[in-house]
Amino acid sequence: MQRDLGSLPLAPALRARLVGAGFSTAQELLEVGPCELSKEIGISKEEALETLQVIRQECDSNAVRTGGDPTALRKCTALELLEQEQAQGFVITFCSALDDMLGGGVQLTKITEICGAPGVGKTQLCMQLAVDVQIPECFGGLAGEAVYIDTEGSFMVERVVDIATACVQHCQLIAEAQQEEDHHKALETFSLEGILSHMYYFRCHDYTELLAQIYLLPDFLSEHSKVRLVAVDGIAFPFRHDFEDLSLRTRLLNGLAQQLISIANDHKLAVILTNQMTTRIGQSQSTLVPALGESWGHAATIRLILHWDNNQRLATLYKSPSQKESTVPYCVTPHGFRDVQPPPPSQTPEGSEMNPRKRPRIEEDKQ
Amino acid sequence: MVILHAGLCPGLTAEMIQLLKANGIQTVVDFISSDLEEVAQKCSLSYKALVAVRRVLLAQFSAFPINGADLYEELKSSMAILSTGSKSLDKLLDSGLYTGEVLELMGAPGSGKTQVCLSIAASVSHSLKQNVLFIDSTGGFTASRLLQLVQSRTEEEEEQVEALQRIQVAHVFDIYKMLAALQELRHCMSQQVVCSVGPVKLLVVDSVSAVVCPLLGGRQSEGLALMMQLARELKTLAREFGLATVPTGIQVELDIGGYEALEERPGASGEEL
Repeated sequence: MQRDLGSLPLAPALRARLVGAGFSTAQELLEVGPCELSKEIGISKEEALETLQVIRQECDSNAVRTGGDPTALRKCTALELLEQEQAQGFVITFCSALDDMLGGGVQLTKITEICGAPGVGKTQLCMQLAVDVQIPECFGGLAGEAVYIDTEGSFMVERVVDIATACVQHCQLIAEAQQEEDHHKALETFSLEGILSHMYYFRCHDYTELLAQIYLLPDFLSEHSKVRLVAVDGIAFPFRHDFEDLSLRTRLLNGLAQQLISIANDHKLAVILTNQMTTRIGQSQSTLVPALGESWGHAATIRLILHWDNNQRLATLYKSPSQKESTVPYCVTPHGFRDVQPPPPSQTPEGSEMNPRKRPRIEEDKQ
Repeated sequence: MVILHAGLCPGLTAEMIQLLKANGIQTVVDFISSDLEEVAQKCSLSYKALVAVRRVLLAQFSAFPINGADLYEELKSSMAILSTGSKSLDKLLDSGLYTGEVLELMGAPGSGKTQVCLSIAASVSHSLKQNVLFIDSTGGFTASRLLQLVQSRTEEEEEQVEALQRIQVAHVFDIYKMLAALQELRHCMSQQVVCSVGPVKLLVVDSVSAVVCPLLGGRQSEGLALMMQLARELKTLAREFGLATVPTGIQVELDIGGYEALEERPGASGEEL
C-alpha cells in the first residue's frame, strides 16, 4: 500500500533520516529488512525492527477491512448506526423535564458538558448521574458502573449516600407496585453498598494528573468493562489557574477532548464534564459564557448551561446535534436532582389567613 | 524520490545498483540528473546501457503535459454538480457542490456546521442516490437526526432505509487514523474495488480542526506538516476521483499568540457559511 511516510506515526528525527536516505512510501520500507535499514540510516537494529513493526501494523490494519480486528478502521452504514443508537439506553437524570429536553437522558458515546455558575448544581447532577447509571435494566437503567474524576474536591460521600438511598427507595416502590420477579432479584444487588462499590473515584490535583488519568483510562476501562459513565467534575479548574502558556493550554485541552470522545466511542459510555463560567466583556454589556475559550466549545457534543432566574434554577440546552434548544426548570432536593414540584393549587400569596378553617398543605418531598 | 532497486526496469541489475550506490547514486532523481559519461567512467559500466535505463526511467516516472482544450473537455464530461438540498445554499455555491473541489465550512461552536453536513449527506444520498462517506471526528454524528432529515424528504420507509444504507460512517479521533482512512479510501477507489456499496461521490469530514488543533502551536512544526498532509489528501481525493469534499473547521475569535507564521484558524480560507 502506498502510504506516504509523513502520515505514519514515527518520531520526527527518524522520519527525517528515512527521507534523507530516499525512502518516501511505506511500501519501500517494508521491502527492506531491519538489518539493511539500520545500516542505511545509521540507527540501531532494535530501532529499525521497532520502526518496521509500527509500519507493518499500520499497513496491516488498513488491509484488514472486515473481520473482527478491533484496530482496523471501522466503517458502518448510517442504518447500522441508527439501529445501534435505538438499542442504546440513556442515563436518566431523575428530572423528567431535563430528560425530555435531552431526548431521553444523557446519551452514550457522546460528551455532555455541564456549565454553570458556582452553586447551581453541577456537582449534584454529576453525583446523581453516577448513581443513576447503576440502576438495573429492569427498572429502565443501564446497570453500569461509574468513574468519577474529581479535580476540585467537591465530591461528598455523605451526599452520594443520600442520593443512592433515595434512588434505591424509588426502585423499591416500583418493585412493590409491579410485583415482578426480576425486580426483586435486581434489588438484591442494587443496594447502598452495591452502588458505592461500583463507583470508582479518582482525585486529581493538577492538570498533569488529570491528563495522565484520562490517558490511562482506556487500560482501566478494559479491565472494568461495565463502566458506562465517566464524570470529570471540574475540567476547567486545573486549566484556569496558574497556566501561562495559553497555546499549550489549547493544545492540551483539544488533545484531551479527542481522547475523551475516543474513549466514549470505543467503550460505549457517556462522558460528563463540568465547566465553570467566565465573564465576557462586550462593548456595552458583559455576559456569562462558559470558560476555557471558544475552541473548547467545539469539544463537547452536547452543552447544557445551568443558571439562576431569581430563585429558580434553570437548565438550557445550548448545543445539541439532535435536540431542539430549550430551557427547563429543575431543583435540587435532599433526595437529589429532581423536577420542580408544581405549587399546590390552594396556596395564595396572602397565606392561609383567607380561609382559617382550611389547613395549609405541607409539601412533602416525595418522588 | 524512488530508490533504485533491481527490477525497477529491465536492464537495471543488482550489480549495476551496487556500483551506482558506491558512487553516491541512490535514487531515480540522482540517476537522471547525473552526467552519464562520468558515471560510465567511474562505475565502469557501458554508456549505452546507462542511456537505455535512463530512457525507461524517464518514461516511467515523468508526468505528461496535457493541453488546456483537452482538460476543458475532460472537465465538462466528468464534473458533476451535487445539489445540497437547500436552495439558498445552492445559490450561494453557484448551483451546488462541484465534484473535484473541496468546500470548507467554518463556524463558531453551535452555529450549525454538523447540521449542514448531515443535511447535505441526506440530500445527496436520497435525492441524487449517490454514496456518501462521512468521517466523524467529534462524535457529533447522530443517526436519529439523520433519519429525521431523510424523513422530511420522503415518507416511504424503503426509500429512507436505502438512503441510510448509502451513507457510510467512519469514526476516527486522531490525525493518523484520519490519514489512514483517507488513504484507504484512495486505495479503494483506485483499485475500483466495490466497497460493499459502490463508488463514493461525496466525502464529508466533520471536523478537520478537531484532529489538527492538538498538534498546532508551540515551537515544533510537525503539526503543520501533518495538517498539510491532510489537506493534500483531501485535495488529491477530490481531484483524482471526482469527489466533492466537505471538511469543517472551527473559527476562533481571539488571537492566542505564539503562532508565528500561522493564523490560528486552520484553513482560514474558504467560504464561511
